[in-house]
Amino acid sequence: MSEIVIEVGKRHIREINEEIQEASKTGKPIRIVNTLSRHNLGVGLPDGADLTFEGSVGYYCGGLNTGSKLTIERNCGWAVGEGMAKGHITVGGRAGMSCGAAMIGGTIHVKGDTGPRCGVAMKGGNIVVEGKIGYQSGFMAHSGKIIALGGAGESCADALWEGEVWVAGPVESLGVDVNVIEPTAEEVAEVDAILEPLGLVDTSRDWRKMVSGQRLWYFEARDASAWLMI
Amino acid sequence: MCGIAGRILNAPGAVGRDLVALMDAQEHRGADSTGFAVYSTPLDKGYVLRGMGFSKARIDADLETFRATLKEHGADFTSEPVIVSDTSKHYSFRMEISDPKNLQAWVADADELSGHIEIQSCGRSLEIIKDVGGATQVSEKHKVHDMIGTHGLGHARLATESSVLPNASHPFWARPFSDVAIVHNGQITDYYTQRDRLRREGYRFLTENDSELIAVWVSDQMKQGLSMEQALKKSINSIDGVFTFMIATPDGIGYAKDRFAMKPLVVIEQMGELAAATEEQAVRTVFADECDVINYDGPSQFGIWGVGNRSMAA
Repeated sequence: MSEIVIEVGKRHIREINEEIQEASKTGKPIRIVNTLSRHNLGVGLPDGADLTFEGSVGYYCGGLNTGSKLTIERNCGWAVGEGMAKGHITVGGRAGMSCGAAMIGGTIHVKGDTGPRCGVAMKGGNIVVEGKIGYQSGFMAHSGKIIALGGAGESCADALWEGEVWVAGPVESLGVDVNVIEPTAEEVAEVDAILEPLGLVDTSRDWRKMVSGQRLWYFEARDASAWLMI
Repeated sequence: MCGIAGRILNAPGAVGRDLVALMDAQEHRGADSTGFAVYSTPLDKGYVLRGMGFSKARIDADLETFRATLKEHGADFTSEPVIVSDTSKHYSFRMEISDPKNLQAWVADADELSGHIEIQSCGRSLEIIKDVGGATQVSEKHKVHDMIGTHGLGHARLATESSVLPNASHPFWARPFSDVAIVHNGQITDYYTQRDRLRREGYRFLTENDSELIAVWVSDQMKQGLSMEQALKKSINSIDGVFTFMIATPDGIGYAKDRFAMKPLVVIEQMGELAAATEEQAVRTVFADECDVINYDGPSQFGIWGVGNRSMAA
């Protein structure tokens, strides 16, 4: 099937996104070229579009995605896939701060590292990072899984809620109110099922599963001692 | 939210043009005002002054009073003041001066006139140009695009902590230390406490802008014997708030980031030259091809990019 090529350059972003929306109705793959790390590319995409960004993109690429497949060949700036509900985003390089912020569904796959606060306040879906997740990743994640295959930076999983942070590799330090627990075989199988379509299953991994200690979560003013220990 | 940038060339070249491009690409981060600090080949003696006056009806009288302070300190203008003025209330000026006997003492006296006329930068190499408006507008007014130099800083300001005034724009000169300038993206939350301490030690602040503090704070630490690298490291735990700042001297550009990793910094280094900015799309206006970027996005980072022998300085 032939592909539709859309040039970014210095054109107005709204004009480019409208062109992407129109092109997605044809069902053909779309290649976005000369991206120049511009912001807000491919925001609010409908279900079923198939986009490849040739080069690096700026902030919020693929934000509010409702079911499209995006491939970013190189790096992305802040908040790739912010608020996405469905679909799949692949980042060939590294992702900047707040990757997958507040996402509620779908999968983000980053082949490099991420910046700080990967998965901040996410409420569902999965983020798979082949490299290292940055400072304070998983901060206030309500649900969903952050799976880091190359370790984690400082303050990992700080103030986590019902989300889970899975790390293979070194963790520089843990955030407040984090429990590191030994995952069951069943739970590891669930993670492997997420990694399997990405070709990333490795049964020799030594996982650290991080969940909330729930001391912040069930804060009781009359018994502040638990909170003060943090 | 502000946008900052730094640029280093291997040899004197079109650093003004590059800084304008870096800031034009970040104008959406703050269109209140834009400023540039350009470092050119240093003078052997004397200083270049950049400044502002706030009463266009009194230009001649105020410049003459200003000149009198200089004469009292054994110096004088060595070039005619070049005045830049438009419909706004303030005017800008540039001139060269001979060496005062004691630069810091003269700056203290000259700052007594700051209600009328104000020094924005003083250096053998440094010139700070700043004004209200976007990068292109400020460049066209002050001919920044044509400035030749080895390195420099840029800033696009979204005013949050103080008013939209031309003299509250960045970069800030580390008064009264010659040739030191800073740009800052963030908020300093213990600004008043720190400023009061430095004021008691004799430093003068001419604006309510929290970024002015950083310039003076780092220079004061260096005056007390710390290297710039040591001062930058100390700033991370000594200054409270969320910040990324860059500080420039004739030898290069230093940077420091806060403990919470809230403010980004993206760098491209190629063939010994360097561009740094808040956003990747800005540095790509200088390095157009898909070269690798370095993201300084972790907490508590600091370092120095030297001019000429950068790899050794870093």
